[in-house]
Amino acid sequence: MTWWMRPLVRLVAAVLLPLVVPAIITGALWALPGDPANIICPPETCDGTAALAARWNLDQGPLHFYLDWMSKAVTLDMGRSWTLMAGSPVYDEMVRSVPNTALLVLWATIPLFLGTLDAALGLLPRRVDLLWQAIGLLPAVILALLVAAYVEITFGAFGGDEALRWKLLLGGLVLGLADGALAGAVTGTRTTFEEEVKQRYVQIAMLRGESVFANAMPNVLPALIGQMRGRLLHVLSGAVVVEVVVGIPGLGELLWAGTLKQDFGVVLAATFAFSAFSGALMLFQGLSEIAVAWYVHRSPAGVVEAR
Amino acid sequence: MSPRRGLRGFALAAAAVLFFVLLCMGQAAPEYVSSPNLDNVGRGMLEHPPFGTDERGIPIHEYALQGAGIVGIPALVAALITMAFATLAGIVRCADAPWLDTALQAAGELVGALPRMVVILVVALMLPYDWRVLLPVAVCWALLAAPAAMDEAASSAGRLGGARFVEALRAHGFTATRIYAYHILWNNLRPVIVRQGAEVGMQVVFLEIALSYLALASREPSFTHPESSYSWATLLYQGYTWILGQDLFHSMVLGLGLVALTAGCAQLFRLAASAR
Repeated sequence: MTWWMRPLVRLVAAVLLPLVVPAIITGALWALPGDPANIICPPETCDGTAALAARWNLDQGPLHFYLDWMSKAVTLDMGRSWTLMAGSPVYDEMVRSVPNTALLVLWATIPLFLGTLDAALGLLPRRVDLLWQAIGLLPAVILALLVAAYVEITFGAFGGDEALRWKLLLGGLVLGLADGALAGAVTGTRTTFEEEVKQRYVQIAMLRGESVFANAMPNVLPALIGQMRGRLLHVLSGAVVVEVVVGIPGLGELLWAGTLKQDFGVVLAATFAFSAFSGALMLFQGLSEIAVAWYVHRSPAGVVEAR
Repeated sequence: MSPRRGLRGFALAAAAVLFFVLLCMGQAAPEYVSSPNLDNVGRGMLEHPPFGTDERGIPIHEYALQGAGIVGIPALVAALITMAFATLAGIVRCADAPWLDTALQAAGELVGALPRMVVILVVALMLPYDWRVLLPVAVCWALLAAPAAMDEAASSAGRLGGARFVEALRAHGFTATRIYAYHILWNNLRPVIVRQGAEVGMQVVFLEIALSYLALASREPSFTHPESSYSWATLLYQGYTWILGQDLFHSMVLGLGLVALTAGCAQLFRLAASAR
């Protein structure tokens, strides 16, 4: 496979992802039995379904609905909630929830980043791996449950901003440790470096007294960025569980509530946000791979100055 | 027999026993749990064997049995699907079919591009009410987990030498069936395939617990089982109330015990299939 194939696939997928995901949900909405307007206004409990369908843009088929929704979404108009907060703009709710999810993911990234860095530099002894692996066996829901109990005992059932800060901090820690996140970061990075160090050019660099890290890094960087993207997606996936169990008003909690109430307005907006973030991660990975390839092409000798 | 081989044999036997116990628990599950009995409220393990009762006087082992019935078969199916995809990717890498290999990698990139839980929730949203069982969710999870398993299996096959490895063995006179089934799959890809399958099986159990717990916390019916049955999440939910002061420590112990049993089973399968 030529070197540019993977970055190209990533760049194309990154652009298409936020467009395709709402399209799939819209298609599925029309594929469900019955009229989509019946979800907002079941005929057995309310009349005026036709008028509501026209008001919610559901009366001219899935393509019209999708194009209209997407054209508004690019201007940050995410539509209105159907059932969860019927009639309220979803954007307002997202403005409240996205910063919390971003903070949660940020806190989760810290142990992952430190684990990756320490493993890359060889600072973490191998015998400690068992500890990460043992912690990683715990599912996020169990650790989140303990965090929820701690916060409720400490701050009461309706704790204020201080409670939210602790929820975000501890929730982030849960995401960084549970489900093998940290263990994967440490062992994944170490294995990648160990495999690279076996390569002949690194062995020669070692004989020449050059830095192993600096020599191997450009070549393992695409793999490490790919692993980090996978971990961030894993963290985002777990964020749904942690936010609901711990009680953090974030994007995951919004998606969960929308799913429970069959609120397609909320689900469309939340999945669009998740797919846009996933697309951005993929775009970053694709561009990084191109940048690394460009850098390696500029330094064909593949070695760096001696320390 | 070498100690390492003995350890693998022991791990395989222990994993098989644990998994058999899980399946038997599911088969022994009552269709409905006992009616509430206010005379038996909050009894401990010794007062009401084997595991005590909950705050409604219902024996909590019935929740454990029903929970095993919910997760057993879907976890097995998800594991088998993942293993099948990993096997396919490993074989394709060795089969000198670069375009198929590239297509599989591209498909894997696209499938694995979104957070899995987001996809699962969208799938759950689309499920008709009658389909609210774990199996479709588990199959979806297995398909989402497959790219990672395929990537690892393909990398292992690549490290082996890929098509050159097959060519070399052919030159030694081995048949294609023996090369692929024995030399590639059994001797080389087995640890990766079994580990990925075991991990996905375990993840499906944890996913069920998470989804049911979230539904319980939101006081809504779960996507993964009918309202008449109870998941292991019920035990953890009761255990949570123990942390907050209710007398349901035994629910927490049983809930965590079942989580440990699942994780232990997956780890033992992984150990049993580890490389020589």
